[in-house]
Amino acid sequence: MNKVVIDLFNMTKRFNIKTIFAVILVAVLGMATSVSAQNVNVTATLDSTMIFIGGQVDLKLEISQPNNVTINFPLLNDTVTKNIEIVEKGGIDSLNIDNKRLILTQLFRVTSFDSGLHYISPLEFEIIDGESRSIASSNALSLMVVNPFKEVDPEKGMTDIKGPIDTPFKIVEIINYIYLYGGILLALALLIWLYLYYRKNKIDKDTSFKKPKPTEPAHIIALRELDKIKESKLWEHNKVKQFYTEVSNTIRNYIEHRYEQPALEQTSVEILASLKSNNEIDKKSMEQLQQVLELSDLVKFAKFTPLADENGLTLMNSYFFVNQTKLEVIKSLEEEKQIMINNESKE
Amino acid sequence: MEQSVDIRELNERIKNESSFVDLLTIEMNKVIVGQKHLVEGLLVGLLSDGHILLEGLPGLAKTLAINTLATIVDADFSRIQFTPDLLPADLIGTMIYSQKKEEFIMKKGPIFTNFVLADEINRAPAKVQSALLEAMQERQVTIGETTHVLDKPFLVMATQNPIEQEGTYPLPEAQVDRFMLKLVIDYPQKEEEQMIIRHNLAQSFPKASTILKPDDIIRARKVVKDVYMDEKIEKYIIDIVFSTRYPAQYNLEKYEEMISFGCSPRASINLSLAAKAYAFIKRRGYVIPEDVRAVCHDVLRHRIGLSYEADANNITTVEVINDILNTVEVP
Repeated sequence: MNKVVIDLFNMTKRFNIKTIFAVILVAVLGMATSVSAQNVNVTATLDSTMIFIGGQVDLKLEISQPNNVTINFPLLNDTVTKNIEIVEKGGIDSLNIDNKRLILTQLFRVTSFDSGLHYISPLEFEIIDGESRSIASSNALSLMVVNPFKEVDPEKGMTDIKGPIDTPFKIVEIINYIYLYGGILLALALLIWLYLYYRKNKIDKDTSFKKPKPTEPAHIIALRELDKIKESKLWEHNKVKQFYTEVSNTIRNYIEHRYEQPALEQTSVEILASLKSNNEIDKKSMEQLQQVLELSDLVKFAKFTPLADENGLTLMNSYFFVNQTKLEVIKSLEEEKQIMINNESKE
Repeated sequence: MEQSVDIRELNERIKNESSFVDLLTIEMNKVIVGQKHLVEGLLVGLLSDGHILLEGLPGLAKTLAINTLATIVDADFSRIQFTPDLLPADLIGTMIYSQKKEEFIMKKGPIFTNFVLADEINRAPAKVQSALLEAMQERQVTIGETTHVLDKPFLVMATQNPIEQEGTYPLPEAQVDRFMLKLVIDYPQKEEEQMIIRHNLAQSFPKASTILKPDDIIRARKVVKDVYMDEKIEKYIIDIVFSTRYPAQYNLEKYEEMISFGCSPRASINLSLAAKAYAFIKRRGYVIPEDVRAVCHDVLRHRIGLSYEADANNITTVEVINDILNTVEVP
């Protein structure tokens, strides 16, 4: 349209008003006939008429046309004009509307790196209706590109590099790092906790293998067990092997808790040797113990049948050994007093 | 009462039959200074018809020990040095063509003897090892189309050098299992070494006398099998062997990951036999837990497979067996 206006201005210099009027009338009528014949409307719009240098703005081309007409869009590849570059080119989108018309739109994201007012001349679209071809032009546009930076005057000499722009701190800037490192720390803490938990459980399991220490003194348990064996009269019921097994087990159990040595996992020879090396037991008690263990071994492993006297002697020696080696706990006066009170109250 | 009479009779019989053990030990000690464990192991192997794998450094009287035993028992002895180029035929023999007779005749190998010292068995390739181990197991050798039964007693003592690993063919676990005992021998004590020097510098080296015949050993083997083993001892042996397979069931959970495979039933059999032989050596007609414990290390040490985790923790089979013996309840 601007071109038309300029042409008209030039023409006014050469032709008189009538002639000009006639020409304008013919041209306007001609255009109106052409566009209305095709009934095609083309518009070009910009999101913003002003951007900073390097900023981006959307250029939208929109055509309203009848369904039976074919339109060729202008071929824009890299630039719209010399100073306006295309950053992103969208596809042609179509929309059918009720009155057999079609609206086609295409979006271009454009930018400019030259400051100043840039003129975008009307864009031309080719209209093909059957065999006839015509051109429809969009409206012209202008884009103001502003340089936000101060102009450098080289005549002022060298200047220092500008420091970083001081911006206020925002938590949003580090929130991703907080999530990342926080997550890693949490995972590490979980792993350490799992390791410690596993280790504790393992230690618990290891320690659970240790035999529980009896609450009563070892000799009390041993004497009670020997009483039971005596009452059961196993050897009289022809259960000699069981009798000797129980007696030797009772004595070995007693040694295990009294002297804290693994007598149940030791052989008779090993038990005697380790007790001998302790030098805690008198010779007579050692002889009694040796008689009990050796005879028990013979009965248990060699089908030996001892005499009735030997059975009695074994039991007697067991009692003697326990009584002679038992650990006496000296009670305090208060404990003695408490026991006496308890006994009196029972009576 | 009848049973106790039996055991007393058996005790007496074994005391009589085992009287040669003391004499044999005296004769052995004339020549071999120290190495009591080696001599005992040899006797256990000899009396229980088992073979012995010996691990020890060179110069510890391995050859001398088995040679002396052969002299005492009046048996044949041969020593085979295993090398990488040894062939099975070098060991068991082969058929060679006799030009004089114009036929193939059999040339027997050094394995046709009573006592064999297979020196550095891990230096020979697998096929030679297999030939020896097959002969040990079957006690017979097939050359050509004929099978030859080996002489009795037949005892193989194989040695392994524990230091060198390069250029050796370590015995696979399945073949090691065929040795009844694995003895590990160490250097002698100071006093023993002094005695060894004196023996070797004397005008004449002490010589053992022949006091037995091979038939005496065969008869003694039968008596060894008669040694009484109570059910409690059998259960004790089973507990020990099972604890190598399922350590967790015996409060040995720490070895659950460290033992890759436990002992086979052959271990139970050999442990029982060796315990009986040990009781016989101690001139007893019945087995006691001490006998089992005395031979336990030698019978089990080569039958427990340790994992890489155990290697990383420097855990040895000796430690595992020690822990087992300290954990499994003695009957």
